[in-house]
Amino acid sequence: MEASNRADDFIPAGLASLGIEADEIELAVMGAAHSLFWPGILDLLEFDTDGVAPEPRADLSMPPQTT
Amino acid sequence: MSALDLTLRGQAAAIVAGEVDPAQLLDQALERIAQRNPEINAVVETFPERSRQMLEEAPRGPLYGVPVVIKDEWPLPWRAQRFGAAEMFSPTGPGESGPYRALRDAGATIVGVGNMHELGASSTGNASVYGPACNPWNPERCPGGSSSGPGAAVAARLVAGAVGADGIGSIRFPAAYCGLTGLKPTFGRAAMDGHHMAGVSSTIVSGPLCADAADCRLLGSALFGASLEAGEARGLRIGVVRDTVSEDVAPAVHDACAEAIEALRAETGGEVREIALADIELAALATVLIANTEGLIGLSPERLAKLDPALSPIARGFAKYRMLLPAAASVKAQRIRTLMRRRLVTAFADVDAIAWPTVPAVAPPLDAPLVELPSGTLTADQANVRGAGLANLTGIPAISVPVGLADGLPIALQLQAAWGDDELLLDAAEALERANGRRWVESLPPLARQTEPTGA
Repeated sequence: MEASNRADDFIPAGLASLGIEADEIELAVMGAAHSLFWPGILDLLEFDTDGVAPEPRADLSMPPQTT
Repeated sequence: MSALDLTLRGQAAAIVAGEVDPAQLLDQALERIAQRNPEINAVVETFPERSRQMLEEAPRGPLYGVPVVIKDEWPLPWRAQRFGAAEMFSPTGPGESGPYRALRDAGATIVGVGNMHELGASSTGNASVYGPACNPWNPERCPGGSSSGPGAAVAARLVAGAVGADGIGSIRFPAAYCGLTGLKPTFGRAAMDGHHMAGVSSTIVSGPLCADAADCRLLGSALFGASLEAGEARGLRIGVVRDTVSEDVAPAVHDACAEAIEALRAETGGEVREIALADIELAALATVLIANTEGLIGLSPERLAKLDPALSPIARGFAKYRMLLPAAASVKAQRIRTLMRRRLVTAFADVDAIAWPTVPAVAPPLDAPLVELPSGTLTADQANVRGAGLANLTGIPAISVPVGLADGLPIALQLQAAWGDDELLLDAAEALERANGRRWVESLPPLARQTEPTGA
């Protein structure tokens, strides 16, 4: 099954599952956000990070301790 | 010339030398805010009695008597932050934030609170519960966000220094749009106590916005709680990447930044090296996902059902959309963070600083924040996050420095360095100022060239 970028599939279902209501303007905003973010999110989910070992207890003030 | 037109360090030195009376300087700053602020809405609140009390009790520190502005993201003992919004999603209240204590202990006088983009959620500064701040270079243009007020206040010379916060470029964007120098410190190095996301956010830092690097060094030292010593950026190895962050930019920005990089190389006797740093756009998206999911801590369906109607429709809609972001993407974003941190270790073995334009185009109109790039028309947010996210994602420091003007609006170059090399970025920025004869750090917007009325 192919992923969908269509906000009118995803957003009403997602909101309904959480019991969140939204007015027409909010839905339009969410649609715009979705069209902006979702393609990138799908790319991110497909990005292969299998070879990237986790960085336990990362200290962002320092370079990573493991490579 | 008013003492307010001196640099931050110039004001501090003139007070120490007895040439400027700090009480008079405070009054002048309040008068100038009253005179110039209506055009730019940079300062959303002043509290003259609190400011005078702060001055009376101020220690003779490095910023003694110098008026500064602080972003509406930091609580003060007499005022809760509003985060530019009618409603915040985290508990808030008056208190001694880290930046407040840092300023107080350095002897500075907080003269006002700087406007900011609603909920810190944009690079433009064109929406706020207080109304948008405007760019002093052209009041119809965006000042940059989310530290819009601090940027506009310094550019209009209401004050010589302001404290912002940078979660995804929020110090560097207003610095770039307003022609200032803005430092995003290494994560965890600058004061963060009292921020409503302290201990939750892995991207936000406090930092200075000033006219030039030496002033950022002075104000930054207060925020770091340690002196940011000046050095010489000799033999600087400057890394450049061939990627959208450096290529998909407006021609004037491309040319000014290329010229600045070459000037910096020549001034430092260094070299320019092309480096490989893949997936910068993916890193930007990862930053957005991490920052937005960390911000979910205060949200629930019940809370979202009772949002303040005074929140903008964009803020309301986006708050609800954030609840739908897939957890798998956030986990993946953390792994991208690890990957990019390791890639930067490799990169910084070959270069001392990585350079690309802070933003790909000059400040867009307030009422239509779109930018024209070689790839087409993008929203300013979409375009700006590309080059800013990496530093927040990985924790490295970054600085935005002015390097030109196009259509009467500033152009800026961003330099990024390895963890803890904040001082090197300041050294490099000063070298660049020398290289161009301080032409761009001393350029003033029309509003800051106004003559004071008698008595100011």
